[in-house]
Amino acid sequence: MHKILHTNLGRALFFTALGFGLFLASNRIDELRVYQGATLAMFVVAISSLILLTGYSGQVSLGHGAIMAIGAYAAALARIHWGLPVWLCFSAAVVVAAFAGAVLGTAAARLSGPYLAGTTLALAVGLPSIANQFHVLGGEQGLLFDIGQPPSWLGADFTSYKWYFWIGSSACLITLWWLQNILRSRYGRTWRAVRGNEVAAQLCGIHAGKSKTLAFSVSSGLAGLAGALLAMTISTVSPSAFPLSLSFTLLTGAVLSGITTLPGVIIGAVTLVATPEIADAISQRMANSESVTTNLPGLLVSALLILVVLFVPNGPVEQMRMFRVKARSHTKN
Amino acid sequence: MIRMNRRKLFVASAVIAVGSMAVAAVPAQAFAPHRAEIGVSASSIKLGISVPMTGIASPGYNKIPGAMKAYFDYVNANGGVNGRKISLVIKDDQYIPTLAVAKANELILKDKVFALLGTLGTASNKAIASSVQLAKRGVPALFVNTGFSGFADKSKYPTTFSILPSYQMEAKIMSQYIKENYAGKKLGLIYQDDDFGVDALAGFKQGGVNFDVKVPYASGSQGVAGTAAGWIQKLQAGGAEVVVLFGVSSATTAALGNAYALKYAPQWLLGSVGGDATTIASAKVVPVALMRGSKGFSFAPAPTDTADEYIKMFQDVNTTYNKGVAFDNNIVAGMTSAFITVQALQAAGANLTRKSLMDAIETKGSTFASPTLTPLGYSTTSHVGATGYWIGTYDATGSLKPDGGAYTVYTTDSGSGAVVKSTYKRAPMPAKGLPN
Repeated sequence: MHKILHTNLGRALFFTALGFGLFLASNRIDELRVYQGATLAMFVVAISSLILLTGYSGQVSLGHGAIMAIGAYAAALARIHWGLPVWLCFSAAVVVAAFAGAVLGTAAARLSGPYLAGTTLALAVGLPSIANQFHVLGGEQGLLFDIGQPPSWLGADFTSYKWYFWIGSSACLITLWWLQNILRSRYGRTWRAVRGNEVAAQLCGIHAGKSKTLAFSVSSGLAGLAGALLAMTISTVSPSAFPLSLSFTLLTGAVLSGITTLPGVIIGAVTLVATPEIADAISQRMANSESVTTNLPGLLVSALLILVVLFVPNGPVEQMRMFRVKARSHTKN
Repeated sequence: MIRMNRRKLFVASAVIAVGSMAVAAVPAQAFAPHRAEIGVSASSIKLGISVPMTGIASPGYNKIPGAMKAYFDYVNANGGVNGRKISLVIKDDQYIPTLAVAKANELILKDKVFALLGTLGTASNKAIASSVQLAKRGVPALFVNTGFSGFADKSKYPTTFSILPSYQMEAKIMSQYIKENYAGKKLGLIYQDDDFGVDALAGFKQGGVNFDVKVPYASGSQGVAGTAAGWIQKLQAGGAEVVVLFGVSSATTAALGNAYALKYAPQWLLGSVGGDATTIASAKVVPVALMRGSKGFSFAPAPTDTADEYIKMFQDVNTTYNKGVAFDNNIVAGMTSAFITVQALQAAGANLTRKSLMDAIETKGSTFASPTLTPLGYSTTSHVGATGYWIGTYDATGSLKPDGGAYTVYTTDSGSGAVVKSTYKRAPMPAKGLPN
């Protein structure tokens, strides 16, 4: 199986097959799960954009929620003012967010560590509330982002959540496929080289600044796509949909996934979507008290975060790989 | 070798994700209900609410679900509605629309509630109505906690019912009051520069009031150091003698605190959203006593008015079923919504369906017994709840006392209708506060 994945065609085929599997699944599961599946797809795209930035290019971003907002607003405005077809709205989200990312990335490439974290944090705090200043952005109550009813040839039983799920998982599979490719390309190697040792990379003729800016821009484009997906699942865009906590949630998801390993991204996304459900089940069984229900999800995620950082700092996937490598070298000796 | 392993894990995790989603679906399908109406059985009615229980917007509002539950428990202890006991599933959306949609979906698709009740916030309610497709599913959204006038549009939100008077109504009634009481004085206005404020400005325009000094503020900026001092300086420079504050509680806090510091003492008129003494007190930024002398607007009886039969009943219910929670305007708001909900369930009859409930509110809603001091505006063409305000003055403890010792209520609409002094006489409370 993994041999097939070495070739471009093989990877494309694999992701197509995966898509078909998801398509079959979407017909068998109930509507709440379909909706959660759409949310899951959104988180996968958002977290993988953060993993690309932090794990592969070595830049920290605490402001990815704000970049998602840029994409979401771009998609909604394109839909409202020009009535663009859905796929063009999503493309607009990617392009506008990538452009914003390029501008930001130029500044970000000069910063590192806590300074970069601080700058992006300010972005997460400030940017969404800009919408309150301009009437065209709809203020606090936001804009509607109506992608319309699913095409009629899909049948009358085809709910809009199923439609969202299809769009979301297609976007997610295309993103992952594309990321797999780009990370294996020259750009991916350049990013990793700069992350590993900037001076050494520069000695090899890599322009560190350009490389970082490009990574920031690509990552922002994907975050924009995630933002548009988020807007799709809630049918609206408003500043309060992109709070500071969203940026932190994404970072949590990335750490749980293993910040340097793209394959783990699904673990992070599943954790984020499943935790409130698990917390709900626990609190119903245990105490059925409101304060437990409302506070347990936060507690669970925080506890998980601490455990991951303590015991598997590189993420569960990377850790498993390390174990295997160790085990193998032991048997060889 | 390393690469191959990574890829293998990637494949594995993808397969696990697909598998887990498919597996997770099985129990949900296995327990699909086969009842006549979702959320209703011969002995129970299940309602759901999603409000900010934690987070920045939660103080005050997080008391609403508990208050509703307390009143439902009281009704249940007295036999329920047509023999059915009411339960309320409470979810926390932290005032984030994304979460509000997720929680509404859980309530409707997983908990299978009969109706949503009292969901809070304009953006959240808009997101819920459009993403969850309440209209298409026919799920009633009862007595939403927002004053955005758009929800009264029955063609857009056919299953949504409001309870709060709209911001526009409030501004129109304020205009009338200003013209009658402060003619010739210099007027100032602090307002939130978004749709909340836009609704208000439209109301003031219709009311024919022009402000000499207008201070718009961006939502969220009221907490930024120095911002509110700027508002006050602007008002002082413009010589405003009467200032309307049409904003949220944190803006009220910032304005009153800075005005005190800068020795500026105009006559304040606090809008119903920002005049929430409980929220101001819990923020612990300024003493509530700064509200003394300000004018306030409300449509429900004052929480301190123990002479009011509803307030007395609500207080008793709160003591018994909501132990240890201080009685305030949020409790009154929650119990008022719960009371009207019980009325509606009662009016829908023994053969309860979502449609019969909405029909009952449309046809009989305007005659419901209700704690509100204004008439309810429900009809086949309107989903508007309370339609006006009474005006009072805050005392040093932050409680609003009606001017002249009795509630004088003004009513109006969200359009061009006039502001009229209401002759509405609230019907006496049903025996023991139990609708019959």
